[in-house]
Amino acid sequence: MAANGKLGGENLAFLEVKDVSREIFNNNGKYLKIIDDINFSVADGEFLSLIGPSGCGKTTLLRVISGLDNPEKGEVTLAGEKIVKPSVSRGYVFQHGSLYPWETIRQNIGSGLQAVQGKKFDQKLVDHFIEIMGLKGFEDAYPNQVSGGMAQRAALARSLVLNPQLLLLDEPMGALDAFTRVDVQNIVYKIWQEKKTTMILVTHDIDEAIYLSQRILVMTPHPGRVKEIVRNDLPFPRKRDSSEFLETRKRLQQILNFK
Amino acid sequence: MENSKRVIFNKKYWKGWSSGWNIFSILAVVVALVENLLVASSESVDNGPYRIFLLIFIFYLLFVYLVGYFFSSRVKFYSGHFAQLNISLGILLCVQDLLTEKFGTLALPYFVSFAQILEQMRYDALLLLESTISSLVLWLISFVIGALIGVVLGILLGRYRQFNYWSFPYLKVIGIIPAAAWMPLTMVVFPNSFLAEVFLIVLSVWFPVAFMTIGGVQGILPTYFEAAYTLGFSEHRIIQKIVIPGALPNIFIGIFTSLGLSFTMLVISEMIGAKVGLGWYINWAKSTGNYSQLYGAIVIMALLFSIIFALINKIQEKVLRWRQMAS
Repeated sequence: MAANGKLGGENLAFLEVKDVSREIFNNNGKYLKIIDDINFSVADGEFLSLIGPSGCGKTTLLRVISGLDNPEKGEVTLAGEKIVKPSVSRGYVFQHGSLYPWETIRQNIGSGLQAVQGKKFDQKLVDHFIEIMGLKGFEDAYPNQVSGGMAQRAALARSLVLNPQLLLLDEPMGALDAFTRVDVQNIVYKIWQEKKTTMILVTHDIDEAIYLSQRILVMTPHPGRVKEIVRNDLPFPRKRDSSEFLETRKRLQQILNFK
Repeated sequence: MENSKRVIFNKKYWKGWSSGWNIFSILAVVVALVENLLVASSESVDNGPYRIFLLIFIFYLLFVYLVGYFFSSRVKFYSGHFAQLNISLGILLCVQDLLTEKFGTLALPYFVSFAQILEQMRYDALLLLESTISSLVLWLISFVIGALIGVVLGILLGRYRQFNYWSFPYLKVIGIIPAAAWMPLTMVVFPNSFLAEVFLIVLSVWFPVAFMTIGGVQGILPTYFEAAYTLGFSEHRIIQKIVIPGALPNIFIGIFTSLGLSFTMLVISEMIGAKVGLGWYINWAKSTGNYSQLYGAIVIMALLFSIIFALINKIQEKVLRWRQMAS
């Protein structure tokens, strides 16, 4: 059993994705199915990863869950409530460049909090997140004056200060170099352990998915469908060079048809 | 001497500092003063104001040179950078003095020596001051109104599709008309000339600002808005925290574009309708054929408009400092 003992319980369904399909008109005026008939559920406090080749609709699925996009068919419910539009209860961390370049790191982190709480928002909470994200000393810098890793940690903090029920991570480490990526992965892991926030991570990095998540949802493209949901019961904290880790990776690679 | 050889790099004041150039620059202005004193004049001009101007210039150059040399490295960058330019200024002053007042190669009444311009400005000081203040007030009121209208319309047109659909085609056609074309009508329709002038300047300002603002709003990354939706931003907050700051770089381009148009319209409208102001003063000089008055007004305009330009530039630097990368 995983650290917080609420692994993948279909009975404890917190987030439910039911028969979700998303279709768009492409530039040639043709109807295109991006994701088709997606069904799965996520338990409260669970960490789930979505992996699959590019074009399999991972991000589309995440956007539907956030409410940024609405599905043509099916529905997504969170704690029984249907999701129709974005909300502060569902944090969303973008791949990169979503921080407001005209606000300092501190202002960025506090921007959602200020929107929710008004002018007298909880500055101490912002300071707390600056601290745990390792942004001390850079809080008054502008986003283009800090490294990509710092910017992503700030983006993470901006969502987390709102204490979301569900945190959606859209390849937030995708644009980072290898060293910085591990660094941000560790922070995500630490926060998940501490806050027990339900998290869904979109990634194309198999190791990242194995390192962080309790279940891994593998998708296939054209149109995006669920191929398999792989349980990942390795004990936390996980070691990237353990034989079980490598075995899990091999299994995932087989599912993804890697040679 | 070791100091003079050292090359100091500064992004803004990139020319190196050297005692030689600084002393040359002072000498160049001293030469201009000595020339004015010694060479016999062919026109009757009161050279007093010009000589005082040159003396102030010399002392100013000496001052920044010494302060830079002994006390402030910032002033040193500054005085070092502009030393060579100041030499050219000294030479130009000397040459224009010889060509006009001294030898009369460029003759009156169309060509006037700088000394005579200064003399005229001193003679008309009160009137010029009054005209300058009047022009400045008229410009400021009109420009602020025009820029505000432009920004507000630009944000509405850039952010709201329906508003854009119904109004932009009309506004585009109206906005492209030169403001001066409305002049005969406005002079008749408005109850007084001040309002007519304000209207004309506003008309020349709002469109470039609005047009650039639209582009600025539409160029904001969609991710910024999507992030805002997940962070609980209200529409009011989106305008305040994303649309306005995101469009500001473009808004400033629009403001700078319309700046020149507004100055043009200011002078033209004052020439036509006003009984005071720099445009009126020029028109008055034209009717009396006193071209040193015209040049005096031009000198003031050059100064005034440069200061306004520099101020807005400073404001832009301050407001958009987030664009500067870490140094």
